[in-house]
Amino acid sequence: MRLLTIELDRPRCEGHGLCEEAAPDLMHLDGNGELVIDVPQVEAGTPEARAAAAAVRVCPVAGLRLA
Amino acid sequence: MVVGNGIAGLTAADALRDAGFDGELTIVGDERHPAYSRPALSKALLRDELDAHELPAPTHGATELLGVAATGVVPQRRVVQVGGEELPYDRLVIASGSRARRLTDDPGEVTLRGLDDAFALRERLATRPSVVVVGGGPLGMEVASGALASGCEVTLVSQGRPLITQLGRHLSDLFTTSALEQGLTLVETGSARLDGPSRVLLADGAALEADLIVTAVGDVPNTEWLAGSGLARCGALEVDHRGLLRPDIAAVGDVAALPTPYGTRRIPLWSSAIDQSKVAAAALIRGEEAPPLSIQPYFWTEGFGLSLKAVGFMPPSGEPEYVDGGPGGPALIRWPGAAAAINYRIPIPRLRRAAAA
Repeated sequence: MRLLTIELDRPRCEGHGLCEEAAPDLMHLDGNGELVIDVPQVEAGTPEARAAAAAVRVCPVAGLRLA
Repeated sequence: MVVGNGIAGLTAADALRDAGFDGELTIVGDERHPAYSRPALSKALLRDELDAHELPAPTHGATELLGVAATGVVPQRRVVQVGGEELPYDRLVIASGSRARRLTDDPGEVTLRGLDDAFALRERLATRPSVVVVGGGPLGMEVASGALASGCEVTLVSQGRPLITQLGRHLSDLFTTSALEQGLTLVETGSARLDGPSRVLLADGAALEADLIVTAVGDVPNTEWLAGSGLARCGALEVDHRGLLRPDIAAVGDVAALPTPYGTRRIPLWSSAIDQSKVAAAALIRGEEAPPLSIQPYFWTEGFGLSLKAVGFMPPSGEPEYVDGGPGGPALIRWPGAAAAINYRIPIPRLRRAAAA
C-alpha cells in the first residue's frame, strides 16, 4: 500500500475552491476562504487518490501537489 | 480520441476514465508542452512565479500526441486526420480551444495566449521597454498591470472604458481608478490599428509609439480544421445541453458554444471548461442518463493591486449592493444573479450562494 500526501503551497492559494468542488471529502475552504486539507494522505489507486489528483489538477495556480 | 490538450481536453480524458471508460484513449495537442494553466500565464507567470502554470502529470493513461495538429475529421467514417494519417475513434471530444484574435497578419504581432507567448513576453518586459497594450478587456488589463509591475511605462488603448463590456460599470470604474493611481496611461478610442511593429493609430488619427506593442483583443475559436465535416455551423460548434454535437462527438471548452440563459454562446473560462468537459465525457459514455450542464460562470482577474472573483453571467446590470465591506476596500458585492469579491477572501460556494440570493 502506497500513501500519497496532498501538499498545499499556502502562499500560492488564492481560494478559488475548485479543489473543494473536485474532492469535497478531502478538503474544504473554511469561513475565511482558507483551504483546509481534511484528509492529508490517501492510498494510491483508490477513489480517494483519484479525487485528490482531480483536485490538484483543477487548481489554476499550481497550489496543490500530490506526492 | 480527444483533440486538444488544454484544461478542457485534459479534464475530458480524466472524466472519461471516471465514467468507467477503460479502453484506448488518445489525446492530440498542437502544442509540444504538457497541459498547463492558461489563467496563470497573464498573472503569476508575468510576476515571478515561473512554475505557477504547471499542472501535475496526467493519470488518464492516454497516448499523447503532442506538437501535432489535427487537420480534419470525417464523422461518417469516424476518423480524425492527424499529421497526414487517419486515426480512428469510437467517441470524439473536440477541445481545440481558441487562439488570440489578431489585428494584422504580421506574425510579429505580439499576443498572449500560449505558454511560449508568455515566456517570450516575460523576457521582453524584463528589458523594460515602453509598452502599449491594445485591448481593455481582462487580458489587456492583466498584461498592462504585469508590465507596469515590471517597471515599464505602460499605455493601455481601450475601446471605451476598460472592462466595461465584460464586467459592467462598477467593476470597470474600480479597476480603472486603481490602474490610473498606479501610473497607467489610459487612452480611449473608437478603434485602433497597428502601423508596423511600434506604432498604433487611433480613431482620431493620432499615433502612439512604443518599444513593445501587445494586442489583447479577444479570441477566435479554432474550428477551421473542421471545415467540411458538417459539425460547425457558420464557424461555431453549437453543442446541446450535455456538450454533444452528435451522440458520438462532444465539443468542450473555449471552442464550444453552449446553450445558456442568455442564448447560445461560448463561455471561455477555466472553470467553465472543466464543468463542460465533465458533463460531456459522462454523456459520451452514458448518453441521456448523464446529467445536463448547468453553468454558473466563475471568473477571476487581478491587477493594479486588486483581486477580483466573480460569479454569474457578466456584465451585471445596475449598481451592486454591498453585502460586506464598502467602496475603496475589501468588499463582497452582489447584483441580481451575480456576485463579486474584491480583495476579499471567500469560499466560492458562498460567493455562488450570494449570486443566487
